Amino acid sequence: MSLPFPSLAFFRALQQRTKEDAAVFEKLGVCDTTFGIRVGDELYRIAFEIYECTEVDECDGPGSLDFVLSAPTALWNEMFAAIVANGGADAAHTINSLTHLGDVMKVEYEDPEGHDRLYRFMATIQAFLDEARHLDVEFD
Amino acid sequence: MAYIAPKDFSQDEGLIQEVMRVMGGDLDLSWMKDHPHPIAARPRQAERGLTLDDINDDPFYGPDAIPEIVRHNFSMAPRGAILPEGLPSLGYRVNRKSDVWADSAAALFEESKSRRWAPARDIAWDALDTTSLSPDEDRAIHQICTGLISIHLVAADVPSRWVWLMNQEFHEIKYWLCAQMFDTSRLAEAFRKRALYGHGSLGKDSRELGELLKIVIDSESYPLASASMNLALFSLVQGLGRHYEYLASNPADTTLGTRLVQDTTRSIAYGVDHIASLVRARPVEAEVINEHLDLVDNGVIGFLGSRELLEPLILLSGGFEPVAALYRRTTAEYFERCAAAGLGARAERSPLPGFLELLGDEETR
Repeated sequence: MSLPFPSLAFFRALQQRTKEDAAVFEKLGVCDTTFGIRVGDELYRIAFEIYECTEVDECDGPGSLDFVLSAPTALWNEMFAAIVANGGADAAHTINSLTHLGDVMKVEYEDPEGHDRLYRFMATIQAFLDEARHLDVEFD
Repeated sequence: MAYIAPKDFSQDEGLIQEVMRVMGGDLDLSWMKDHPHPIAARPRQAERGLTLDDINDDPFYGPDAIPEIVRHNFSMAPRGAILPEGLPSLGYRVNRKSDVWADSAAALFEESKSRRWAPARDIAWDALDTTSLSPDEDRAIHQICTGLISIHLVAADVPSRWVWLMNQEFHEIKYWLCAQMFDTSRLAEAFRKRALYGHGSLGKDSRELGELLKIVIDSESYPLASASMNLALFSLVQGLGRHYEYLASNPADTTLGTRLVQDTTRSIAYGVDHIASLVRARPVEAEVINEHLDLVDNGVIGFLGSRELLEPLILLSGGFEPVAALYRRTTAEYFERCAAAGLGARAERSPLPGFLELLGDEETR
């Protein structure tokens, strides 16, 4: 069954995939951050603790989030389509590439320490998003 | 010249008589009776395992037991051990807690080990065999790698200059500095391998980079060394790592860039926490650190403007504007970290904004 994107079901499917690929996430190491993914007007809260994605939910505001990755729906569609097509993000669609210059994807944050958690745990966050390669995604 | 112990133990009648008594069954067992403070440390989270923070959750063994100025122990004895009379001083010179302490250091040490990687096998080196880089681009990457190797060799030296001077009471910080040395050594190794893989070569080192690194390594105190390396130098390196990943055209360079950013940012996290703790404890230190960072920022400008960095970045980035944008963003994030560390608005005193103004922006050039 295909999963609509964006949707809570989609992000919960990514969370489930991290459990099935637990060895990959353990090898990447501990990851302690709670961050947001803003797709258009919708905000999702993603929590990682130790090796696991422990929580995925909808969220009203950035509140206690370390940082929020924010982009229009079209860009997220493009990124996940590239992940599905290539079996993982290609060089042009990694989170780093999209957030580095030009604010293609914005990183919202209040506290630099929270922002730096994006950089400390980027490999794990990228692996989380790359799990979309296993999903049948129906883009908005 | 070796240290000479005050007693010739091989000829010490008292010691030999003690040994004979013990061998004869006359056991004292005073070491077994002296348990002033037993605790029951357990992992709070089984998956994380037994961490330093788990065993520190105790007023006797934990860091709360460390006074601001350590005067009771200059020996090798670990914090919380019974200190017999006559322990030798090992000559520690860094004995003030606020000079080194960051509450996050123990967790960052654990994180460093957990997020370890091995350049030999965790980089897809064979991806470089089919890369689409032109010979000029290849040389430009080798040039960037050469600078990164130099930076990380010195970044391994900096903590090594201080760790042996730090009191053993600060063992979490000493562990962390050893992890930093390992992290930076691994990055020097990884980028040396990248430069030399296949038909590789090293590039030309930079006098300006040398000057910057000399300012960092010659810092007169540990707080100044920490601020200059962890805040200033590593903010720049983190930006270069992000740009390296951004420019990557193959999985090997993507992974190298990501790992460079990851490992460097741990040090930044310690630096912000360390300097923030220091400034909270001794606000007067903020100006001392700011004065030193003025000098470091001047060194940063030298490196940013050096042909050995600027030209390969322009070549790989397809023009000057992406490089100027990298410099602007890296500087802005460095200033944010300084503010979070209690150093105020460094943009108002640092020479970096003036340099960036010279570069202009897309509209004004």
